[in-house]
Amino acid sequence: MKIGIEVHQQLNTKRLFCRCPSMLAEGKDPTVVIDRRLHPVFSELGEIDRASMAEFEKSKLFEYQAFEQSNCLIELDEEPPFPLNRDALMTALEIALHLNAKVVDEIHMMRKIVIDGSNTTGFQRTAIVGFNGYLDTSKGKVEIPLIAIEEESSGIVETKHEKTVYRLDRLGIPLVEITTDPSIKDGEHLREVAEKIGLILRATGKVARGLGTIRQDVNISTEKGARVEIKGVQDLRMLGKFVRNEVLRQEKLIDVIDELKKRKAYPVKSKSVDISEVFRGTDSKLIKKEMEMGGSVLAIKLPKHAGMLGKELQPGKRYGTELSDYAKHARVKGIIHSDEELSKYNFSEDEISKIKEKLSMGERDAFVLVVAPAKKAEAALAKVMERANMDYVPEETRRANPDGTTSYLRPLPGRARMYPETDVPPVLIDEKLLGETKERMTGSYEEKKKSLEKILNKEMANRMLRSRHLKLFEKLAADGIDPMLAATTIENTVVSLRREGFGLKDVEGSLTELFSEYKKGKFVKAAIPDILKELSEGEKITEVLKSEKLKRISGKELEKIAKENGLDIKKIMSGYRLRVDPEELMQIIKKLRK
Amino acid sequence: MYSKDIEDFLKKNNISVGDRIEISGEKGKFEGLLMPRVQGETEVLVLKLDNGYNIGIGFEGTEIKLIEKAKPKKPEKKHKEGKGEIAILGCGGTIASKIEYKTGAVYPAITPEELRMTFPDIEKIATIRSKSLFSLLSEDMNAEHWKILANTIVDEIKEGVKGIVVMHGTDTMTYTSSALSFMLQNLPAPVVLVGAQRSSDRPSSENEMNMLNAVYCAKKDIGEVCVCMHASMNDNYCYLHHGTKVRKMHSSRRDAFRSINSMPIAAVNYMNDRFEVLSKYRKRSQKGSLKASTKINDNVAMIYVHPNIKPKLLESLSDYDGVVIVGTGLGHAPTNPFDDRHARPLLPAIKKLIDSEIPVVMSSQTISGRLCMRVYAAGRLLMGAGVIGDGADWTPETAYTKLCWVLGQTKDMKKVKELMMTNIAGEISERSVMKEEF
Repeated sequence: MKIGIEVHQQLNTKRLFCRCPSMLAEGKDPTVVIDRRLHPVFSELGEIDRASMAEFEKSKLFEYQAFEQSNCLIELDEEPPFPLNRDALMTALEIALHLNAKVVDEIHMMRKIVIDGSNTTGFQRTAIVGFNGYLDTSKGKVEIPLIAIEEESSGIVETKHEKTVYRLDRLGIPLVEITTDPSIKDGEHLREVAEKIGLILRATGKVARGLGTIRQDVNISTEKGARVEIKGVQDLRMLGKFVRNEVLRQEKLIDVIDELKKRKAYPVKSKSVDISEVFRGTDSKLIKKEMEMGGSVLAIKLPKHAGMLGKELQPGKRYGTELSDYAKHARVKGIIHSDEELSKYNFSEDEISKIKEKLSMGERDAFVLVVAPAKKAEAALAKVMERANMDYVPEETRRANPDGTTSYLRPLPGRARMYPETDVPPVLIDEKLLGETKERMTGSYEEKKKSLEKILNKEMANRMLRSRHLKLFEKLAADGIDPMLAATTIENTVVSLRREGFGLKDVEGSLTELFSEYKKGKFVKAAIPDILKELSEGEKITEVLKSEKLKRISGKELEKIAKENGLDIKKIMSGYRLRVDPEELMQIIKKLRK
Repeated sequence: MYSKDIEDFLKKNNISVGDRIEISGEKGKFEGLLMPRVQGETEVLVLKLDNGYNIGIGFEGTEIKLIEKAKPKKPEKKHKEGKGEIAILGCGGTIASKIEYKTGAVYPAITPEELRMTFPDIEKIATIRSKSLFSLLSEDMNAEHWKILANTIVDEIKEGVKGIVVMHGTDTMTYTSSALSFMLQNLPAPVVLVGAQRSSDRPSSENEMNMLNAVYCAKKDIGEVCVCMHASMNDNYCYLHHGTKVRKMHSSRRDAFRSINSMPIAAVNYMNDRFEVLSKYRKRSQKGSLKASTKINDNVAMIYVHPNIKPKLLESLSDYDGVVIVGTGLGHAPTNPFDDRHARPLLPAIKKLIDSEIPVVMSSQTISGRLCMRVYAAGRLLMGAGVIGDGADWTPETAYTKLCWVLGQTKDMKKVKELMMTNIAGEISERSVMKEEF
């Protein structure tokens, strides 16, 4: 088994080819909605089977939602791109250097053809930035042959009957793609590699944070099976499960294929038959509804397939599911096959026997049926036949499902269909650009880890290394704030206050303000949570500190209180916990006792 | 192009673009195809790796080895021109071009086979024949090209085609459409110019929609030169514009072409057979009544009035046979009727041009609206000097091509004025249409 991983990380800069902020427009209504079509382009190498592609893809319509706050004409493909964003490029170069990679002498932007609609242009812009990097892991060196900079695709909103809807607020956000060689040993190792790459990326302080800003694609190939790419794994803890499930799927698939070979079921030849009349007056709600909307029921016989469609390949997913996933590419909802419990569709015994009769089925045959408008149903069954005839594990790109299983997305691209993006001039990586990159480069992840462990305990150092506020912490520590205090405030206090409903809108701004006042001795440590609570409600720190509840008591005033309370530390602290620094109190008492 | 050093090295080592080579240096070893250099630094080699990516590797300090020569390209098959209902004439532009993946170079696609490949549905609409006239960027088109194009159209109509589609770059398309409108009158078949704002090498190009709608329109009962381009940012329908009343109004959007001082002929979509008429248009003329006057004078200048404009700019135009002024507002240029001491009137220079029998024609920078030179002193003074155009609602481009064409017919100042002010091809409308937005 061979495992490799591709990590896609969004950068925290403006968009790659325009000056729009890399900001999503969550909860906003689109400013512009447009409909588009894409078509395969002319290729001299004949890489696209134009006729079938056209037939298949051209009927597709894409709807794009654009947002004033996040988009301009460039995302709508109504204006040529700006030159490559230099800020994003320098960040990508920095990441390449952190991964011990060599940097190309000149960046050449390419167009990678993608006509599923996720890019308004019909291609994704991508360029190699670095190569021949590596990562040290507990199980040896993992090579990183390729580091690329590319643009994010659009986010899918929904797939409707007649069109797919995308939103453009994600399109064009810079991404760095890091590809390892297939030398990862197992699921556990995979997780280690993914985690380490993530840490290195985050340590730069220049990558985006939050849900969906980092995505992993896993490449798995098994000895008897094939190479499969699992796209869009978000949760690192799931990596091992995906690997186990994929290995299992391929093993079980091979069993099915071996059995079908034994039965001499290949090549699978069959013609679809319109069996709509079987269902006139049916009790099956599903069929009835579709037929009322003008749908037909088309069926196909799969000779010698009885029992095979029901074989489980992944938890809850059968060989029939694989056929169904292909059929869905013709935009039908799914298929119904003979290894299913047909009573759940309310098929009558009479209907079932009529289907078998119409298809002249024998004992060992199976059937697949689709209910949809006739043309669509025909196309769906053609996809089923295409899949049924694969007497091998197909090379596929599969989508990562939240439950650890995968579903067929599209065939694995062969030799990448790429050609130069002539709208974007090449960028020479000269000494000046490299120099500027190195100048703004932060310390490496290893260096950071070491220096954090010097000032924090091991557990906190580890947490800080993964924190999205690492940069803030470094700033505070450099400002002379006690590192442990800064770290616990960032990682504990702020977090628990948020859980209590006192979330800070601007963590960085609030904490910077807080600690600058703290340094001036305006309040004591113990008052921090209460002050932050007030800040979360929009109060200004200067106003908060005017309150008698939180203002620090020290010097002469504290001496007076100490005397009034008979130098009883316990009593004083219980009365003035939020306002008195215990160390100062101890010293005053010591002094007074003398 | 690479630097001379690299070119010499490659020549000496029998390496050419497209060959498989190995580059080794301090950064490692790379194998791939040597790509041509289109732009940028000339001391860096461009290599296409097997994963499809191109990268730039500095030439200095590397060792380069030839692995395999590129296979020679098969000679293009000579294609025979057959019969077809619609003739498609190529004048360059990116509406139909093919990219060579090896080199990244773009070539025009023009044989019927190539057009069928680029537009697979084209013959569901009409049978086609095709001819490539020029392969150039539209800025390089001039009156010579208009003549060749017009004469080819005449020939094609004689051969019996039902309609003509002209593939054209978008930048100067409306100069060509208006020039053809004057050169070819009483058309028995429509001449439809079509282009694309997104080049055909992208899957998102709107070329297919534009092209198929153009072919669809070329079959209709229309006797005009027209322009067929996207109507909105959506891929849902096109506008068919009158050739003299259309202008490119955006540098990049798909819906850049707008009818000016007019409604388009129709909103069209071949997919659902939509031909929604929006304004009156000329129907096909009787066969044989085609009036082709393809003589045209290219010695015509056009100047844009602006603050600080100096009379000497106009004085320098005395070698031209005609001048179009793109004036301000209702049709103005500096005349200084109030004797301001800082003003620099153009009036004497304009007068001098007209007195030496060089006609001067007005148009407006506002693009939309009619010239009304009777309203202000400037307009009246210009009219008094003999500037032609009051009352016309032409675009600057149409005024320009019309003057070129008129001067191809006559040099008589009186006749020039008369012809300029006579509506020949829909360029001057009698009534100003009311639209929500202009």
